[in-house]
Amino acid sequence: MRRLARLVARRPGARTALLLAPGGLWLVLFFVVPVAALAAYSFMVRGVYGGVEPGFTIEHYARFLDPLYLGILGRTLALSALCTVFCLAAGYPMAFGIARSGRWKSVLLFLVILPLWTSFLVRTYALIFLLRDNGLINTVLRALGRTGEPLHLLYTRGAVLAGLVYGFLPLMILPIYTSLEKLDPSLLEAAEVLGARPLSRFRRVILPLAMPGTVAGCLLVFIPSLGAFLTPDLLGGAKGLMIGNLIQNQFGAARNWPFGSAASVVVMVVVLGSVLGYLRRRGAGAAG
Amino acid sequence: MNDPVVELKQVTKVYGPVTAVDRLSLAIRRGEFFSLLGPSGCGKTTTLRLLAGLERPEPDGGEVRLLGELVNDRPPYERPVAMVFQSYALFPHLDVARNVAFGLEERRRPKNEIARRVGRALELVRLDPAVYGGRRPAELSGGQRQRVALARALVLEPQVLLLDEPLGALDLQLRKAMQVELKALNRTLGITFVFVTHDQEEALVMSDRIAVMDRARIAQVGTPAEIYEHPRTAFVAGFIGRCNLFIQRAEGREHRVAVRPERVELRSPGAGPSGEGAAAGPGGPSAAGAVWDVVYLGSVLHVVVRLDDGTDATVALPNAGQLSHPAAWKRGDRAVLAWRSEDATVLDD
Repeated sequence: MRRLARLVARRPGARTALLLAPGGLWLVLFFVVPVAALAAYSFMVRGVYGGVEPGFTIEHYARFLDPLYLGILGRTLALSALCTVFCLAAGYPMAFGIARSGRWKSVLLFLVILPLWTSFLVRTYALIFLLRDNGLINTVLRALGRTGEPLHLLYTRGAVLAGLVYGFLPLMILPIYTSLEKLDPSLLEAAEVLGARPLSRFRRVILPLAMPGTVAGCLLVFIPSLGAFLTPDLLGGAKGLMIGNLIQNQFGAARNWPFGSAASVVVMVVVLGSVLGYLRRRGAGAAG
Repeated sequence: MNDPVVELKQVTKVYGPVTAVDRLSLAIRRGEFFSLLGPSGCGKTTTLRLLAGLERPEPDGGEVRLLGELVNDRPPYERPVAMVFQSYALFPHLDVARNVAFGLEERRRPKNEIARRVGRALELVRLDPAVYGGRRPAELSGGQRQRVALARALVLEPQVLLLDEPLGALDLQLRKAMQVELKALNRTLGITFVFVTHDQEEALVMSDRIAVMDRARIAQVGTPAEIYEHPRTAFVAGFIGRCNLFIQRAEGREHRVAVRPERVELRSPGAGPSGEGAAAGPGGPSAAGAVWDVVYLGSVLHVVVRLDDGTDATVALPNAGQLSHPAAWKRGDRAVLAWRSEDATVLDD
């Protein structure tokens, strides 16, 4: 033990290694290994009762090119993008308002985080009570004098979108809030005295300086919503199926692990590709 | 006096329970280097922000006029002023050239005009545009940032330049150099400078006129010589340089007077006026006490005397060289302080 302490004191590299070790081991064991296994499975042969059998094939990727599956992927991408746009549209003004709310700041932040304190599953079920044919919304509409067929809100893509936006909104608000909060108010005053009207101050000062937080918020919403399966499962019905449901189904009822693995790998590649693509564009923008 | 460029008439600004500026009036002439001087919390920065439009006076809280026009409700972006902030407030995401160009871009000037004026403004503050134009603020030293902030304001060729303690963050050497440069810019460009500082020496060195502020109001306005030699209140006397407060009897009444340390003569009890050129004749005002301390300040010595009424007074003596001609005074010596009544300023309060 003493020898270790001496080694750490002498070499900063050793200290870094020691600090990284626990979390690093955890990630290797529970992230790198399973993902590698998943990638390997996607090229293997399907087992009869689930699992995989040795062999090499690309048939699972070929199968994914079926319009049915590409359609699900496309719908998932569209829903996730739409969800990100909605979260951004609702979250940016909110983060802005909280950052400028003075002594109400901590209360408002607490309220934003509050939904995260309860189970996502419970909150999604609560949405069902709100949206179903004899749910709260339709009851209120009837009480207000609306007659005829109830609005079919549940088991639509709209319901999935509403659920996703509701679930991920705090993840958009928090990072944007953090970067707006850090923004030095004297920069806005300087811009104002230099002749910048409110819109110009937003475009030329606030927007660029809050960009890191905005990007972080968008990634924090877009990436997990690509993998969402609970929300589409409970609120979407057959029309709202997303790729997460497909993957879950392949590993579950369909007992096609290699195909589920292939679909997972496709999602990962799409995520990595979009993030890297964005970062490279941003890097180029910063240099120019 | 020709029409003032900047004019405040009975301006009041209140923050909650605090009155930051209280019925303040002042007029600043074209091309003047005008300083607002006072301790922190006296309202000098609020006064500057009222001129910039970053604060508005209270309703019925007086008039702010720039170039003769009432601007009470005009936003900052429509006022003919530019401002240098205490923290410089440079845009961290823009390089030096884009920072300086910011105001011109807001005014939709043509690109080639912007490039030309940005280059000229950077040269004016002695930053080579080719070397520094592409750097980010984070890559500059404090002094260089200060210059960029100045260039960003000057490039707009404003009628009035507002400066909020712009030299506060610089070290002493740099501050002295910038004082000279700012004063020179004021002279050559003919722009009216309104300069906020809490540093009395800085205000004396740079200003054409100084407004000394105390608790939301102006205590005195005048040239550096007027402020230094004829302070009107004990606050002004104490804030600008060192000052002794004495009770002086004249025409049967007692007055509070202020006398500068270099205007007080130190004598041994019983001795007459010492030597030729003695400041105070016999029979003039005086006070007695004992030497408390002798402070070595380089060019002068300060002899601190505890007077018999319990107050302290300071006498400045030229330093004739302590190694060759040590001062005759030491702690505990009895002493008499004498001054000419024309060197004593009778205080209003």
